[in-house]
Amino acid sequence: MSTSPSYRAQLIGSFLAAFLIIVLAVAAVTAAIGPGLDSTELRERQELQEERQEQREDQLDEDNSGPG
Amino acid sequence: MEDFVDGVTRGNVSQVKTVLASIVLALALYQVLLMAVGYGKVRLPFLKPRAASFAHRAVGDAAVAVGVFVAFLCYSYFGVDDGIEHARGEESTRAMIHVVAGSLFVLAVVAKVVVVRWYRKADRFLPAIGLTLFALFSVAWLTSAGNYLWSA
Repeated sequence: MSTSPSYRAQLIGSFLAAFLIIVLAVAAVTAAIGPGLDSTELRERQELQEERQEQREDQLDEDNSGPG
Repeated sequence: MEDFVDGVTRGNVSQVKTVLASIVLALALYQVLLMAVGYGKVRLPFLKPRAASFAHRAVGDAAVAVGVFVAFLCYSYFGVDDGIEHARGEESTRAMIHVVAGSLFVLAVVAKVVVVRWYRKADRFLPAIGLTLFALFSVAWLTSAGNYLWSA
């Protein structure tokens, strides 16, 4: 006749199973999504946004500088 | 707030939300199994009801914390009106279902916590509330992260 594991072993097993589920979920979803933006891409994107903002402001200044 | 969310997720708000929500869904499925053992509906030789119930409580606390963080990301970055407004055509229906399911999920979480911590008289409703939570989160996941993964 087989005996069931101790209470502590059952808990540890349950938490390990939860951890394994998390790891599998992360692996499956990130594999489906693919790589995100790394820090270099993020910085480049911010610089581009700032550059565009400056261009827009310059354009606005030019438009408002005419006789009126 | 949007800048904070953008910074925390390094500009990958949808992706981070999808990963975290998928973790919560996987854990929610595991929670249903644990409580099936806890209530004696499923008998396993290596896991007894008492240990399963304790693990359900501990894993549930962690899953709810992550779920609430996902709700925070969603609400603070996309908002309710903006989320529905910016979605087009059939997408707006999906966004609407997501908002309704997500909001009801948060209410059901509150209801479950109230029953577990302060209103033990309603103990008999816990399985129904738990299954409702699982169903609502599944709908919220399908209309957001699931949809994102399908279209990726």
